[in-house]
Amino acid sequence: MVNSKHAFWQALLVAVAVFGSGLIMGFFIESYRADAVKMNILDSEIYVFDEQLRQIILDQQNVSCTLAKDSLFDFANRIYHDAEKLENYDSASKFSESFGILHRRYDLLRTLLWQDSIKLRERCQLSFHTVIYFYEYNPEDVEMRARQSYYSRMLVELKESYGGEILLIPIAINMNLSSVNVLLDNYKIEELPVIFIDERYAINTIISSDELERIIFFNYSS
Amino acid sequence: MNLNLIEFAFFFYMFVGLYILSLLLLIYFPNKARLFSYPKGKPEPVSIIIPCYNEASSIGLAIESLLKIKYPENMMEIIVVDDCSTDNSAEIVCNYVKKYENVRLIVNKRNSGGAAEPTNIGIRAARFSYVAVADADSTPEPDALLKMLGFLQNEPKVAAVTCAVLAKRPHSFIQKLQAIEYVVIAWGRKLLDLVDSVYVTPGPFALYRRDVLIKVGLFDTKNMTQDIEIVWRLMSQGYQARMCLGAAVHSETPNRLRAWFKQRVRWNIGGTQTLLKYKNLFFRRGMLGAFILPFFSFSLFLGLLGLGIFIYLLVRRMLVFYLSTSYSLSANSAIASFQDMNLTPSILNYFGISLFIAGALFTFTGLAIMKSKYSYQHNLFNILFYMIVYLTVYPVIMVTALYRLWRGTYSW
Repeated sequence: MVNSKHAFWQALLVAVAVFGSGLIMGFFIESYRADAVKMNILDSEIYVFDEQLRQIILDQQNVSCTLAKDSLFDFANRIYHDAEKLENYDSASKFSESFGILHRRYDLLRTLLWQDSIKLRERCQLSFHTVIYFYEYNPEDVEMRARQSYYSRMLVELKESYGGEILLIPIAINMNLSSVNVLLDNYKIEELPVIFIDERYAINTIISSDELERIIFFNYSS
Repeated sequence: MNLNLIEFAFFFYMFVGLYILSLLLLIYFPNKARLFSYPKGKPEPVSIIIPCYNEASSIGLAIESLLKIKYPENMMEIIVVDDCSTDNSAEIVCNYVKKYENVRLIVNKRNSGGAAEPTNIGIRAARFSYVAVADADSTPEPDALLKMLGFLQNEPKVAAVTCAVLAKRPHSFIQKLQAIEYVVIAWGRKLLDLVDSVYVTPGPFALYRRDVLIKVGLFDTKNMTQDIEIVWRLMSQGYQARMCLGAAVHSETPNRLRAWFKQRVRWNIGGTQTLLKYKNLFFRRGMLGAFILPFFSFSLFLGLLGLGIFIYLLVRRMLVFYLSTSYSLSANSAIASFQDMNLTPSILNYFGISLFIAGALFTFTGLAIMKSKYSYQHNLFNILFYMIVYLTVYPVIMVTALYRLWRGTYSW
């Protein structure tokens, strides 16, 4: 028989080499995904600057409010779907720190979008509703996770049913963004998760989709 | 890095799994042409001991299969040690004693409740310097004894030899799964033999030097797996055990889930008893301390850790699902959406899949190699079920075994 005792250290080398290759491949996959999200976010940032500039032009030249609203909703949809992809990549990410940073950038963009939407609604007297969903990023608490899972499911339904009438903006509150903290203080939002409607109604109890719709569209709160 | 403790543990698992697979494959490749080879032996007198307790249905067949072994009749005695059976086992053996000069029956004075005591009685009563121990429900292949004997005759330090234990006539589903398991175990054990790490000489059929067994104190009557303990004791005293893959014994396997579970719990209790008994030999006494002990301890630790992590994740996930579903139901809203599913694979998924494929390759290679020698048929579904479901039950068996060991509520 061949003396196979060398197999112990040889196997260690093989395992280290294969495992190391796997880890390196993992880093590459995650970097590739982060790059893809980065490109989207850069694109979105250009879009938001473009939008802000257009707002200025619209303000100055009194251009159609409908056009401005459509543009705002398009942008909201776009970053909503981009952020959705980011969430998926982020939850699958094990090495890359960049998804957390990208998440913060998206939260900033969404906060900016919210503020722009308030301005536009006031200026043009538009009838759309803002539904801001404040949630905790990666909560440890099981109850919080379950409640957020329920809220996000209900809000996705709402968005699918009333995409043209409501502006759904999810914002994570534990991303250490001072602008978000100021807004939370300002609106006296302490308990999470919360659905914040038209800067007036804060919902943090379990309510049905019908009740949520009533609050949004008929300003009815029990 | 976003890794939490559980993910670190998962990576650790992956690494250990990869290491073990690499080790076995690195042992296999340089030796693949010689797996079934054995040193040529010449017939020398052998005593075959069969411990027996309520084996009326199988003891006759066992004796007949031993009588059919290709071995000179005058060089072989069969000693059946009846452990105070309550059925007519002793009566059946008596008929063989009358018919054959080389068949003997010894009746123990009391029921010992295990196989070790009757085996020891048989060893003490044996007339020859080589003793084989056989189960009452096992049938060795006719050439098994001679093939195994060569190891003892050619290597003075070898005190025990085992062979491939294969499932006898698997009919039920659980027996077919065990048949696959036995084949993979036999192949794996041969690979371990190539690094002097055979850690058990299973009861169905094993061969020993009688004087060495007596010198080390015979089988441990308090251990639930005396066939593991004896090998560790032999190794701790400088002896070795060998595996003859070219020889085989066909053994009955439990045909009910309950009996299978009970048997596996007993094996795990015995394995843990042995581990505790020899814990002081870590990294001492050759391969026993350098590989077998750490390998056993690690397997136990990893099995328990894996089960703990699995239960934690499952409970957590079920709790989240339960709460969010109950919220949905109370609010009369949808209980699930496509968005709840994240289909983006993480590096952990890739590692898991890669290791599963590597494990599958190992299993299929083992089955193919063994099939070249022993003809049998395993269907693909059974093999996949064995890999995906059967093996994952093991940590549960481990926990049950540890619990019973701790409570002292175990018996043969």
